[in-house]
Amino acid sequence: MPRASSGLLPTLLKRELIVVTGKGGVGKTTIAAALARLLSDAGRRVLLLEIDPRESLHQLLGTEPSGGSIVKATPKLSVQNLQPQKVVESLVREKVPLPLLAKKIVASSIFQHFAGGAPGLKEMSILGYALRTVEGDYKHKADVVVLDAPATGHGASMLAAPLLLADLVGGGQIGEMSASLARFIADPKRCGVVLTTLAEEMPVQELAELVALLEERIGRPPELVVVNGLYPEFPGGRTARRQGTRGDGGPVDPASGWSPDQLATLWRDRRAVNDRELERLGRIWKGARAEMPLLALDRGPALLEAMTALLGEALA
Amino acid sequence: MRGGMLDRRLLVVVGAGGVGKTTLAAGLGLHAARRGHRTLVMTFDPSLRLKDALGVGEAALDRAVEVRADTPARLDVILLDARQTFDRLIARYAPDQAAADRIYGNRFYRELAGNLAGILEYMAVERLFEVAAAREYDRIVLDTPPTRQALDFLEAPDRIVGFLDSGAVKLALKPWWEPGGGIARAPMRLAAKGVEGIADRLIGPRLLHDMLEFFRAFVPLYGGFRERATEVQKLLRDKETLFTLVTGPGEDRIPDAMFFARKLREAGHRLGPIVVNQVHPKAEPGGRVPPGLEDGLALFGYLGDRDARGLAQLRRLLTKNEPLVVVPLEAAPPTSLAALEALGAGVAAQV
Repeated sequence: MPRASSGLLPTLLKRELIVVTGKGGVGKTTIAAALARLLSDAGRRVLLLEIDPRESLHQLLGTEPSGGSIVKATPKLSVQNLQPQKVVESLVREKVPLPLLAKKIVASSIFQHFAGGAPGLKEMSILGYALRTVEGDYKHKADVVVLDAPATGHGASMLAAPLLLADLVGGGQIGEMSASLARFIADPKRCGVVLTTLAEEMPVQELAELVALLEERIGRPPELVVVNGLYPEFPGGRTARRQGTRGDGGPVDPASGWSPDQLATLWRDRRAVNDRELERLGRIWKGARAEMPLLALDRGPALLEAMTALLGEALA
Repeated sequence: MRGGMLDRRLLVVVGAGGVGKTTLAAGLGLHAARRGHRTLVMTFDPSLRLKDALGVGEAALDRAVEVRADTPARLDVILLDARQTFDRLIARYAPDQAAADRIYGNRFYRELAGNLAGILEYMAVERLFEVAAAREYDRIVLDTPPTRQALDFLEAPDRIVGFLDSGAVKLALKPWWEPGGGIARAPMRLAAKGVEGIADRLIGPRLLHDMLEFFRAFVPLYGGFRERATEVQKLLRDKETLFTLVTGPGEDRIPDAMFFARKLREAGHRLGPIVVNQVHPKAEPGGRVPPGLEDGLALFGYLGDRDARGLAQLRRLLTKNEPLVVVPLEAAPPTSLAALEALGAGVAAQV
């Protein structure tokens, strides 16, 4: 069922950072996890990073919650819930030679507000953490970092942060770090962006905006668009007639139990929405695209297993 | 009589992204106008389809535009724009044009302030306050920006006040506040020297300079801005303000919804109904499945059960006084005023 994107996997296997972003509620985390599994199954050492303070990756991977530390899911795949504030703080500790002074700075209200409120700093520290991981600066080594990035607008801001900061700061250690990160992000050989969406109106509209935003801010398109949660194709196509529609009597109580014919009508109509939006997506985005079906599985290792296999098929 | 969703002057619609908040806000607004209330719907970034359905375009950006609905009372829509609201705020509180221009021209303001955490959310409530104070409407429905944690919105005014009151701003401003209100020529000399040196090393002199310039330009506005943020805090806790929380039905959504409901109450807000949107219907047991449709209908059977499980879980977590409104998944998003109004009426009738 997933639409083939003709051999994108070998390309993705060469990347050192893959940023997965998209509108909230479209299954971004599941796609990021499936991609990480796919890359690690192919032999890459992968670190999968989650930024959301409410952890959910562990449910998919069947591991303990990370709580900030690195957890091994398989021999080649590790996962970590990263707290941006902590990364910024450890950066200060590293740059300030005196531990006591560093402690004081981190605790000061000016730092708390600067680190908490300064846009770009947290984002950049996360990207910096990813870069240093693949460059082998830490004890924990990885060939590639898959980043389950914040939703849409924030995701684009994150990628643009180094360039913006390098330009704004124009000096100092953060300025230099920004510049080297901006080069890393801009290098299509090292870093790729994967966008996730649903074939529904708002997500596709946001996707179009995000593609434009990426072009504008970092000067490049995403590498792949994953369309998630598609209803299955309806046998006989969208014009197939069903008997027993549920009429126009306003909302029907979903608990009352619908007949197979009523459900089939809903299925046909929802798939028609998917088809219409896939068509619109095709006009907006000409690049690689993978289509993933809605599965009858709860969030957990079995879902991840199935999604990994389907994504593998789509990218083979 | 006060238990209804549209019985108070302000209805604030909150929830995570992608749960149909904006459509619901428009539907409820239409329903209020139908019942004879002069109504305003304030929203961020609606879909093209919804804009078409309402018949509003760019003209509604930051100003009220009438919806051509044949309702007894007038319905207006404003599409919120954070940057324009921020600019207008500065115009209002700046002592003169030159002071305002200094801020508009500042690089920190242009590039960064618009992205500051909470600014978009804050500007939504700020604009709400402006409109509410003008008392032109009987009912105002505010659709809030989507936030995964959905808390930024509520915390925005507190955070802005906190930020303005914090040592950070004062410290940054200190060297500029010389006796007699004059601006010192030797910036940063008086600021804690250790911090300055390290900040300088870390972020470089240019950003620091831009930030200081920004805060300096902000000094004359500080009082008015802070007062306003405090008023906004009050408005959100007013007895005329009701919150409604919109969520999806999936089990993974429920903890988010409960978390947010608790936070709303803890913060002293009045939480009305929790709306669970886009619920897959349950399959009736023992229906005859047409040949060829087995797999797809099995999926729908699963989705119906999954959503019912989520709803049951939510019901267990809520008390009797906390109404739950269930909106089934529609065949397609509403594309007409009539369909929007039916949605709004259907939701309001369940409470």
